[in-house]
Amino acid sequence: MSSHREAPEIAKDPVADSTDVYAFVSPDQPSTVTLIANYVPLQEPAGGPNFYEFGGDVRYEINVDNNGDGQPDVTYRFQFQTKLRNTGTFLYNTGPILTLDSPNWNRRQFYTVSKVDAQGNLTQLGTGLACPPCNIGPLSTPSYPALADAAVHQLGGGIKVFAGQRAEGFYVDLGSIFDLANLRPFEQLHNQFGMSVFSGPAPGVNATNRLNVHSIAIQVPITDLVRRGAGGETDPRSVVGVWTTASRQTVRLWDSDNGENVNSGPFRQVSRLGNPLINEVIIALGDKDRWNTLPPAGDKQFVHYYASPELAGLLPVLYPGVFPNLAALVKSGKARADLEAILLTGIPAGIIPGFQNSTGSLQADMLRLNTAITPASHPNILGVVGGDLAGFPNGRRVFDDVVTVELRAIAGVTFPLVDKTFTPDNAASQVTDGLDPSSVSAPYLSHFPYLGVPYDGFDNPS
Amino acid sequence: MSTEHHSGESPRSEQPAAQRRPDLSRRSVIRGAVGLAGAGLAASAISGAIATPASAAARTARPTRPARRAPGNAARTGPVIVHIRDVATGEMDVFAGLNHARLTDPGLAARLVRGVG
Repeated sequence: MSSHREAPEIAKDPVADSTDVYAFVSPDQPSTVTLIANYVPLQEPAGGPNFYEFGGDVRYEINVDNNGDGQPDVTYRFQFQTKLRNTGTFLYNTGPILTLDSPNWNRRQFYTVSKVDAQGNLTQLGTGLACPPCNIGPLSTPSYPALADAAVHQLGGGIKVFAGQRAEGFYVDLGSIFDLANLRPFEQLHNQFGMSVFSGPAPGVNATNRLNVHSIAIQVPITDLVRRGAGGETDPRSVVGVWTTASRQTVRLWDSDNGENVNSGPFRQVSRLGNPLINEVIIALGDKDRWNTLPPAGDKQFVHYYASPELAGLLPVLYPGVFPNLAALVKSGKARADLEAILLTGIPAGIIPGFQNSTGSLQADMLRLNTAITPASHPNILGVVGGDLAGFPNGRRVFDDVVTVELRAIAGVTFPLVDKTFTPDNAASQVTDGLDPSSVSAPYLSHFPYLGVPYDGFDNPS
Repeated sequence: MSTEHHSGESPRSEQPAAQRRPDLSRRSVIRGAVGLAGAGLAASAISGAIATPASAAARTARPTRPARRAPGNAARTGPVIVHIRDVATGEMDVFAGLNHARLTDPGLAARLVRGVG
């Protein structure tokens, strides 16, 4: 998955586990950028009676670097509070929830959103902001889209914000990828470890379909993020780096007298996510937990993972004869400067006509967005690789096929950007897990917060 | 005793004044820790950590003398948690509110350990 349960420690702490980050120029409000950070992975919609929620003891942040130092210059901080109306019932709700202040809704969450600048100055943008309930079913949440719409809060300065449950928009065939990278559309070509289980191709299976996540979404004017004076597409000041973090207080103690956790000490980062799938499939098990605790500014120590990704070495072995040129590239020991640029510095001007999203020479894992590139009228889910400069890895839209883009990049399709003598294997431009946005049952929205209406627990699973 | 005080958290994590907790100065941390130790605190012990939720401490501690309340710390209601990193050297971390201080006091560490038996 993009970053669901991607490291041993954070897999034990779902409310602090970041799953996906999106950053894109809002297609319906092109003077703004939408930033989305998802948490609480793989929610089975019927998971009551204690339905999913944000952690009241977790500090959620979306960070933006606008000067290339891998440190946040603008941070949007979210802190949640849970309120229980009635301690005398086991029910999440005692009747239909028709409004956000419904007396039938027993366990509600509210939040404060603040903006922190590079000097640590904090400005509170809104407080007491209501989250919507989880989507329970036709009796409990009969008008869910209206409830969710009511939870889109307009703040001052052209900012809008939403925090609550959404349909998982990230599509991926987890079952095949983690069964020894046995991509179903090509499973007959897999070495199958000599077991001859598969004789022909099969369609991909979206393992995250009909599951929900909790989203923190904020839409802000572009001018709130970029350095003053940022101009057009070629101006380096138009580029920002984005990542999310979750932090917990240092000490957490089970107070058995009161039956609750108590927390103490300064907040420390426990989760991080910039580019999709990095801590998932690039960083090795021995470094995953540590990677989650660090800012992008410290990523130089992890560069070897990007320069020699384990998966690039595995593909020719798992698919014998399919990736001969990739095998030769791996054998040569050449660093994957293409991946380093795409993921750690951004793509400088002059590589792809009309495009750059470089933040300079510092290697830092951030989702880089050139905010001056306007939204595509006909988006390509393969983003820049598909000729759509408004898509991943120029930021990331909710529907972008980041799995296929990264599979193809690792397979060598982007290496000619830095070495014209290299010819990618034919398979490199075809490799995929076989999914696309039609694999997501809940349609994406054309407006904020863009991720679809969450699946309800009565009908899912069906 | 030597101390290393880590006020608040990261440099970029300020809170608005209205939300700011009472400041925990180095001196008040030390006094608080000494006070807890002097109270013969019966605390939860978790793999080397001595942790003291305020409510639990109030119920279980049998002070031989009143714990001293540090100046400016009267409004503190949250837990003060001590993690003894090394009993022999007396290196310990004290956590309160959003603050953290590292102390080195072998005598205090020994008394705290004796306090939990």
